[in-house]
Amino acid sequence: MAKWGMVIDLDKCTGCQACTTACAMENNTLPGESWQDVLFYHEGEYPSGQMKWLPRPCMQCEKPSCVYVCPTRATYKDESAGGIVFVDWNKCIGCKYCMIACPYGVRFYSDEKPLIEPDMRDIYPGQNKQLWSPPYQNPKEDWSRGIGIQPPGVVSKCTFCYHKVSQAPEGTVDFDEDNPAVKEYVPACVRTCAPKARYFGDLDVPESQVNQLIGDKHGVRLKDHTGNKPQVYYLGAGAAVPAFTPADKGDKS
Amino acid sequence: MNDNNILKGGAGTALLILSALIFLGSLVVALGNLGSQGHASFNTSSALPWGQPIATYLYFALASSGLGLLASLPLVFGFKQYYPVAKRCVFLAFIILISGMTVLALELGNVFRMLWAIPLNLQIQSAMFWMGVFYALDLLFLLWKFGKLDAGEWDSKTSKQVGIASFIGVLLASGNLALIFGMMSMRPFWFDGLLPIYFYFTGVTSGMAALVFFVYLAHGFNRDKMHPAMQSLMTGALPKMFAALIGGTLLFIAARAITGLYSNNPEINIVWTDYLFASGLYHLSLWVGLLLPFVLMLNGKLRNQVNVQLLVSVLVFLGLFAERFYFVVGGQVVPLFKGTWYPDLIAYTPSVTEWALTIMGWSLAFLLCVLGEKFLNLSAMPDAIAKQGKVHPAIA
Repeated sequence: MAKWGMVIDLDKCTGCQACTTACAMENNTLPGESWQDVLFYHEGEYPSGQMKWLPRPCMQCEKPSCVYVCPTRATYKDESAGGIVFVDWNKCIGCKYCMIACPYGVRFYSDEKPLIEPDMRDIYPGQNKQLWSPPYQNPKEDWSRGIGIQPPGVVSKCTFCYHKVSQAPEGTVDFDEDNPAVKEYVPACVRTCAPKARYFGDLDVPESQVNQLIGDKHGVRLKDHTGNKPQVYYLGAGAAVPAFTPADKGDKS
Repeated sequence: MNDNNILKGGAGTALLILSALIFLGSLVVALGNLGSQGHASFNTSSALPWGQPIATYLYFALASSGLGLLASLPLVFGFKQYYPVAKRCVFLAFIILISGMTVLALELGNVFRMLWAIPLNLQIQSAMFWMGVFYALDLLFLLWKFGKLDAGEWDSKTSKQVGIASFIGVLLASGNLALIFGMMSMRPFWFDGLLPIYFYFTGVTSGMAALVFFVYLAHGFNRDKMHPAMQSLMTGALPKMFAALIGGTLLFIAARAITGLYSNNPEINIVWTDYLFASGLYHLSLWVGLLLPFVLMLNGKLRNQVNVQLLVSVLVFLGLFAERFYFVVGGQVVPLFKGTWYPDLIAYTPSVTEWALTIMGWSLAFLLCVLGEKFLNLSAMPDAIAKQGKVHPAIA
């Protein structure tokens, strides 16, 4: 059985946010409901100041704290789907405990104040129990896996584009967007990445491209001390997230 | 013995109408905004998902547990001086919990789904699942115990067994509620294995504040109208215990503040320096809401004055409400990643809808309390205590 994993090479990432846009288009997310975004931050001061950026999808943790806290099993880790963590929108009661328990901040409750005006929910009012109903919609809606446009009052998150990945031929190990045979099944953020900083494949196959990159280039997992064991690995400099310092306090380092 | 309960008369009716109007008004505002805007009418966000409605629920749930624990003093542990307030404690614990649950219900995204999704999916790994189980049991036992006391069964075997079951239910419910926060190692401001103890203690303090206020309210703020046994309690053991509870609460807060300020971890340290101690309201709640009441209650003469006890109960009530708010919000104000060009704490001020829910909860508790005072005999106590008039400390 596959175990889907993602590798993000921060030495190649340019912070262009194409992944963020592609994800929003693919999954019909609202502004601010960025299942995948890129965080920018800076550390130190001139002349040795650093600027860093960090793409952040759901880590699809091996030990997902969000799953353990959910009182209804609405959020669950589906081992038969490569270990992707899904939210069953038919079961979610909107208690938001999973958002508290996720160390990575990658869960969204879109029944909240709009990030920008006009509110897209007013422009495209929801139909058929959807929170909003834009004219273009992902045709593969599956509420039991949190795919498509959610109803009000539930939590949404990145699905590793399961609606695409699950269509790949049996035994696909490397989802390389340059390979015409599999490019349609590659997650949107990976397929759109112009500098080819993102890789997707099977962590259970030792020879897979993702495993080789992790091994050869010293892949690390974010906030590994939490014990959540993400299935997303980062390569290159910049994966060390600096400690939070309010802007008006300056850099204490 | 309850002839002196002013809430049974015209004053009670007036209060009933007033609290019903406030309840209905706030409910209409809350439901209207939730109906038209959904939870977008809250000022919470994906970065700070739990706001004032959760803090309100927490406040009510813990005040209820505190009252349940106070009721167990005479009913489980044999502190007989507390018999005169036992029945009122059980009643208040029940209605305050109902009020808190009502607020929580309107905070959830899909409240009716909860009724089948939690029991049918049996996610026993989730503390929130156990919160549902333990608080349901807590409600059941409180109701059962109240039924026993209302029937005059103070000392029967079943009554005692139900009392013990209720005591255990309260401990499990509020202790587990603490662990909902305390087990979150990714939220270091909350992460604390001893948080249940903190919740028990502060819960009893807020329960005591509610009890003192409502006992006086029932008697028109006039202690002379109370039964002698209750007068004896209100000038003896109870105010001393209230003082000790406030003092203990301050110690708990001090211990949390000192460890937080000492820590280098910004997710704890900055919450204290840049959020709690940077807020005038937090200072007000700490110094005026808790320290001032403690100082007042330390003085033996002041401690027994009706006005001082009332002032202290109101101040502690409000002070601990603020504590719950800052506890819930404080665990979330530091963003999970530094992010953005201008890193800052996540801003949160409750919206009109969130305030409406809080006011709805308070007015509902008030409404139910007045109803209880009007139609039930909440000052009942065992005949032996009632006849004796004053409970001698030696037999307590």
